[in-house]
Formats: sequence, C-alpha cells, structure tokens
Amino acid sequence: MPLCKECKKFFPVKEDPNKGDCVQRVVDPRQAYYKAKPVGASMDASSCSSFEKK
Amino acid sequence: MAEAAVNIKELEKNQEWWRVAEQKRSKRLDYLRKAVWKKGAVGGLYAPGIKVDLERAGLFTEGYFANLNDPGMVRHAKAVANVLDNIPIFITDQAQLVGYVGSAPHTISWLIEGGSLLNEEVYNEPGIAPEPEAESLKKMAAMMDKWNGYSVQDRFIPYVLSFAAEEGVKLLSGAVGWGLPISISGYNGKDYEYILTAKRGFEDIIAEIDRRQEDMKDKARKKAGPEYLHVGSRMMNWEGMKIALQAVIRYANRYARLAKIVAENYETDPKRREELLRIAETCERVPAKPQRNLQESLQFDHFLQVVERFESGGGAWPSRPDYYHGSWYDKDVNIDKRLTKEEALDLVGEFMIRAHEVGSFFPRWTREGLQGITGTWVWTLGGVKQDGADACNDLTVAFLQAARLVRVSNPTFAFRWHPQVKDEVMRECFECIRQGLGYPSMRNDPVLITNVMHWHGHPIEEARTWVHQACMSPCPTTKHGFQPMRMASATANMAKVVEYALFNGYDPIVNMQMGPQTGDARKFKSFDELYNAWAEQLKWLMNLLTMSVNFGRVMSPEMCPRSFLSSISERCVESGQDAASPEGDRGNSWITAFTWVENIDSLAAVKKLVFDDKKYTMDQLITALEANWEGFEQMRLDFVKNAPKWGNDDDYVDDIMLKCLREAAAFSRVIKDPSGNNWPILPENVSGNIHYANIVRALPNGRRLGDALYDGGISPGPGLDKKGPTAVLKSCGKINHITDGRAFLLNQRLSPTQLSGEKGYQLWRSYMHTWADLGLDHIQFNVIDDTTLRSAQREPEKYQEVIVRVAGYSAHFVDISRKTQDNIIQRTVQGIG
Ligand code: SF4
Repeated sequence: MPLCKECKKFFPVKEDPNKGDCVQRVVDPRQAYYKAKPVGASMDASSCSSFEKK
Repeated sequence: MAEAAVNIKELEKNQEWWRVAEQKRSKRLDYLRKAVWKKGAVGGLYAPGIKVDLERAGLFTEGYFANLNDPGMVRHAKAVANVLDNIPIFITDQAQLVGYVGSAPHTISWLIEGGSLLNEEVYNEPGIAPEPEAESLKKMAAMMDKWNGYSVQDRFIPYVLSFAAEEGVKLLSGAVGWGLPISISGYNGKDYEYILTAKRGFEDIIAEIDRRQEDMKDKARKKAGPEYLHVGSRMMNWEGMKIALQAVIRYANRYARLAKIVAENYETDPKRREELLRIAETCERVPAKPQRNLQESLQFDHFLQVVERFESGGGAWPSRPDYYHGSWYDKDVNIDKRLTKEEALDLVGEFMIRAHEVGSFFPRWTREGLQGITGTWVWTLGGVKQDGADACNDLTVAFLQAARLVRVSNPTFAFRWHPQVKDEVMRECFECIRQGLGYPSMRNDPVLITNVMHWHGHPIEEARTWVHQACMSPCPTTKHGFQPMRMASATANMAKVVEYALFNGYDPIVNMQMGPQTGDARKFKSFDELYNAWAEQLKWLMNLLTMSVNFGRVMSPEMCPRSFLSSISERCVESGQDAASPEGDRGNSWITAFTWVENIDSLAAVKKLVFDDKKYTMDQLITALEANWEGFEQMRLDFVKNAPKWGNDDDYVDDIMLKCLREAAAFSRVIKDPSGNNWPILPENVSGNIHYANIVRALPNGRRLGDALYDGGISPGPGLDKKGPTAVLKSCGKINHITDGRAFLLNQRLSPTQLSGEKGYQLWRSYMHTWADLGLDHIQFNVIDDTTLRSAQREPEKYQEVIVRVAGYSAHFVDISRKTQDNIIQRTVQGIG
C-alpha cells in the first residue's frame, strides 16, 4: 500500500516527521497557486490520483 | 513602449479609465487583479465556478462537537483552532501577501453554526456545492443535521419566544427589518490602538494573559467576596483567548512553511524565490511579534481580518490603513529606501485585492440588498490624529493611487476631509472620483468628530480615531471607544412608517397587523393627525429593531463567543470578558434608516394636495393607493409633479424633513443600547431601495408597488431634484448633521465632461467648499455618462471594471441588477458651477 510519505508532494514537519504537508500546484481558470494541506506520513495513498513516487 | 504610451493618452482622452488602469498597473498587479474570482452575486446568483467552502464548515463542526463539554469560549476557540490548523492554504503566483477565508480561491465561506435558515439556503442554492455535487450535498446534509439544536439561531430563538414571540414573527417577516439579531456575522469594530500600533505581538498578549490569570487566581484565593464570583468564567475566557492566539501564530507559520517549501523545491526564478522567502520571514514574524516594515504591517492586519472572518464572519471591514500603516511606508520608502514607490504601490494594491477576493455565502435577501459585492467594506482614509493634526501621509496618497490601478469595488474608501487637508491629497481624491470609481466618499471630519462626541459621549481624542464601522457610521478604535459588533438587523425599512400611518398599521404584503393601530386615515381631518400616526409608527419600528438587537448583543457571549476578537481587544485582555459584553464599551449604536425620504415626500404631498389645497380627500387618496394608483394616473402625476419634493431648497417640504428627523432624534434618546447609550438613526440605503421595491406598497409621493425606492439616505428622488446641485446642498444643509442623526448619505451624479481638466478640479473644489460650509457630513459621487452605462448594459464583457456608486458602497456596473442599473442611469446628472 503506497503511503503519503513515499510521495513527491509530501513534505514532513521537522519536529514531527509523522506529520507533513501535501504541497500541490493548482492551475484554475483564473490563477495558479501552490496549495498545502496537512496529511499524515502514513496515510494510505492508494486512492490518491495525485500520488507521485519520490 | 511608445505604442502603449499613445494608447494610454487616447484612452485617457476618451475617459476609458478602466482601460487606462489595465495599461498602467504593474504586471504583478494586473495578474493579481485578474486572478480574483468574483464573489459578489450577479443578479442574485453566484458566478459560475464559485463553490461554498466545505472545509471551514467541516473543520469547525468537527472541532466544536469534539469539545462540546468545554466552556463556551474555550469550545469556540478550539473549533476555530481546528480550522486554522487544518484548512488547506495557498499562495497565489506573484502574491506577496497571504491569507484567505477559505480553502481555495474560488470558495466562499459558510458559517454553518449560524442556523438552519442560512443552511437551508446554502443547501438549496443551485450550482454552489463542490463537485462531485451529490457527494457534497450528502456531506452538507450530514453536517447540517449535527447543528440541529446547537446552532446560534436554534439556541437563541427560545429566549426570544419567551418574551417577544409576536415581535419575533414581525421581524422575520422581512417587511420592516433586515436579518436576524444574532451575532454570527455583524460589523466587528476593532481596538486598533491596541493591536495595530506595533506595541505588541500575539506572544506579548499571551504573556499578558498569563500574568492576569495568575493575578486573579491569587486574589480570588486570598479573599472571598462578590468581586471574584466571576473568576471561573473569566479564567476560561482567557484560556479561550490564548487558544485562539496560539492557533493564529501556527496558522501564520503554516504559510511561512509553504512559502519556504515552494522557494526551495519548486521555484526556479531567483527573484520570485527571494519574494517567497520574504513571505516566509514575514509570516514567521507576524502576528507572533510586532511588525517592523510595511509588508509585515499589512500582513499583520490581513491576518487579523482573515481570522476574524473564520471566527464569525464580518459584514463590514472597519479599517484605517493609511493611519496604522503610514509610518512603515515612510520608513521603508522615504527613510530606509528599502522599497521604491512602485514596489510599495504593488504591496498597497495587493492589500486591496486580498480584501476584494474575500467572500462568504449570503442568503438571497442579503444578496439583493448588497448587489455585486460581498459586504460593505468602507476603509477610512485621511482625518486627524488624536492631537488634532492632519493625519494624511504618503500612504494616503499611495492608497488613492493604488485604487485607480486595481479598481476594485470592495473595499472602497471614505475620506475624512478637514480644513488642513493639503491640495495634493484633495487632487488624489478628486482623481479617483473623476475616474469614475464612485469613491472615496467625502466625510466632514470636524462635523463627525463632534457628532461622535454628541451621541455617545466619546472624549475628543478618542472621537478623533474614528473609522467607518460599516458604510457610514463613525466609530472610534480605542479601548472603550470601539464597538466590537453591531448587528445588521437594526436596519429599518422606513418607508413602511408612512405606509403604516396611512393603513392603520396593517401590511397586506405580509398579511399581518404589523404596526400599532393608529386610526383609519380616511377619517383624518388634519395633517397633524396623519403626522401623529406617523410618529407613533416610527417609534414602534425603532423600538422593535433595537429591542431585539440589544437582546441579541447581550446574549452574544453565550451564543457566539468571540475568543479571537476578545484576544485582540485591550479591555477583554485586561478583564477576561468576551468582546461582545457591553461592559466597558461606551456604545456606538445606530439604526440604519433605509428608504427614509419617501416619508418626507409622501407627507409633504398629502399636506399640500389634501389638507392645504383640498384638491383631494383622504378617502380618495387611500382608495387610489389601495388600487396601486391604477385607474388614477392623472391624480398620481399630480402627486408626483405638483407636490413639493425634498432637495429643491423648498422650506415647505424641508421643514417636514427636519420635523421628522427631530422626532426620531428625540426618541433615539429614549431607547437605549446595552451600554445605556443612544440609538440615533442613520438614513442610507445599500441597495435596499431595490430590495424593498416589491415590499413597500403605493405611496403618496407617486410611487407604485414595484417601483424602485429613492437611492440615498437624504438624496432627492431620481429626477425630482429640479433646481440644481446647490439647491440639493442647501436642502441637506438645513439638517443639523450633528444633532439630527448619526450620519446622512447623499448621492450626487456629476458630468464627466464638466469635471475634465484643471477647470473640472476647480469646479469640484468650490462645490466641496459649499458642501463643507453648509456642514454636511457626507457626499459621494457618480461621475460616468449615460452612454458608457448603456454600452455596458449592451456589452457587459467589455466593461468589466466600470464602477458605479450604488448607495453606501460601489459595485461593478455589470454586477448589479438591471433594475438597479436603470435606477442609477435615471439619477439626475448635475451641472456644477
Ligand atoms: S495526499 Fe496524495 S498527493 Fe498528497 S502527499 Fe498524499 S499521496 Fe501525495
């Protein structure tokens, strides 16, 4: 089972590597931006369509 | 380059200012301006692509119910903290300032804890549930179910029913007031003197609260007595404030981290990398610690505004950005020269854009009243310092220049004019007005400072800090002067007063006996009888609204605690009270009086044509009104054309205006707000004149059910100001703008051709001198010709940035309803000079 921590978009928090941010580039019809949402390092990534192996 | 220069000159000559702005603004501002998703509803509907933010709603719900047994403010703080810790955040390309009230740029926030009325509207609004829609709707329904019995509305209503069930039904009818008296999304004033003067950051406040808690514990344990009975609740409130402050520091640090990740892993442009690292440094610094430069100061302020809206919404945006950030502009641009003027202008323009992009879900009735915008965000510029010296600075000018470049409809500015304002600053104000922004509105500072002292007893140094709490009402920004909240529902549809006086308090639109039974108007034998009925209806309505808002305010700490707002307010940090508690608040209440002038023109018409000229009887008039003037067109035209109308310097009708205002002013001192202070009226409309068009029946000024009501607080009816602009000013100048009410909105339309060039400026200056000499407190201008407006109606896609002044706010012309557009075109274009 792939995990978030194996994904290129996962950036662990220094103080607690079990937690991290999923950082993605989004381009919507009006603007482009970088987005971050908190994820767990061991979160199941099998159903994530944005998963990219590190 | 040469081609662009020629192009700009041509565009300027043609007064196509929105196109000039596109050419003149920096690439960064152009990108950021066009990147904004339009959040104001167009013709009552949200634009395609706008989605309600389920993240804030979901995280708040989760945080709230996970801590259900905690004391109110702690529970609320934990719910907000859960949002701030977990909501997705983003940094837009080219941005230098960060923070948004939602999880993505196209989202509008949803205060799910407000209540079922709002939630039902969100659920039923077509097209705004995020894709996949069916899944979102399921999620929304589940969240809504959770709030049944817990929402502010659900918990508040039993209290209202316990003593004022009938009044509650009348309020909810939507005929006479606006909104619910619950504090979930009011106009939140702020103690900027405490929080924005760089004397402290959030870490300092946390330390201060720790000291206060220790001190109170110590004292309460040592000596039993009534003064410490509240110790438990105060300790808990302080705890809630600290939870909120710590969460905001973490939230800012999340942005710092994201900026660093992008700079170090994604960004290839070295200049942009540097900017991202500066964002990181800024967000690590503020609001934890006090600001040290312009970017940090603006970012500090923006975090305050964003978090306040995560906590409780915010229908207004009281602010004085040139005053509180001006010294940092001076330091960075003039002293340290770490920023060029152009770089500073980019920051200032972006600061406006960051506010412009914020939006929350509005129920339909609010969208109709606030067409095209997301709240009445009137930022205050100019004015005087606490010692009375001119407060204008280089940042005042920068804001006025940035406004012309970004041309946002929200926020807008209101400028505190006073006799010391320098000509160069007046020219900047004029340039904004001439370029058709509809703002700044001009406010008479000496008059309003005196007004603030008169109505609510603020000492002069405090009064001089005033900002617009919403569109118009001045409110100080000090420990005891600031008003932490004001509910929109103290807003009266005043045209109902004269309607109810004519129809014995009965309202066929809502099919209810609304006002008191003041007698069958067919039998009135004198104008005095009608006037007395009018005065009785007026007092009933003023009391109905203020009674419910007073009650809502007092219940607010229990229903909707404000951990964050309290934590940035000196008096709360000092005492451990909720910000909404009236204790220590000097009071700054006002009743917004929509559709006021209909009363005056209607009373004058009856006095003249029925009681003085005896051309018609009351019986005939009531019959014609009941028939909505159908079958009585000649008679109706007589009431339109041959009765005196407000705004023509005619004492006959102007005296009625004064009599009515003074009746209201006297009663304003009888009814009291929770601080024991007065409730003066403030005549203005947002676009209530359109919203209420189908709610107010035919009136003696000649209006029919469905006709737009007049557009301004004391503006004459469209096309009824026949004697020119000076006559309008003279009529308005008969009002005492200090003692007759809180403030008075006056719209004027001027000709763009006449205002062109230096001659145009000089004409306007002398017009403004007359305005100031007559002691008016407010004026705002639309300077745009009918041809442009009609073209914009035909080809809206070409005129996206054309702005008009609607009422207390500006909107992009293409974003307002056809009826409001027509109403603006109908306003008389006044030639001045
Ligand atoms: S959520 Fe998906 S994209 Fe994000 S880190 Fe996990 S696997 Fe990667």
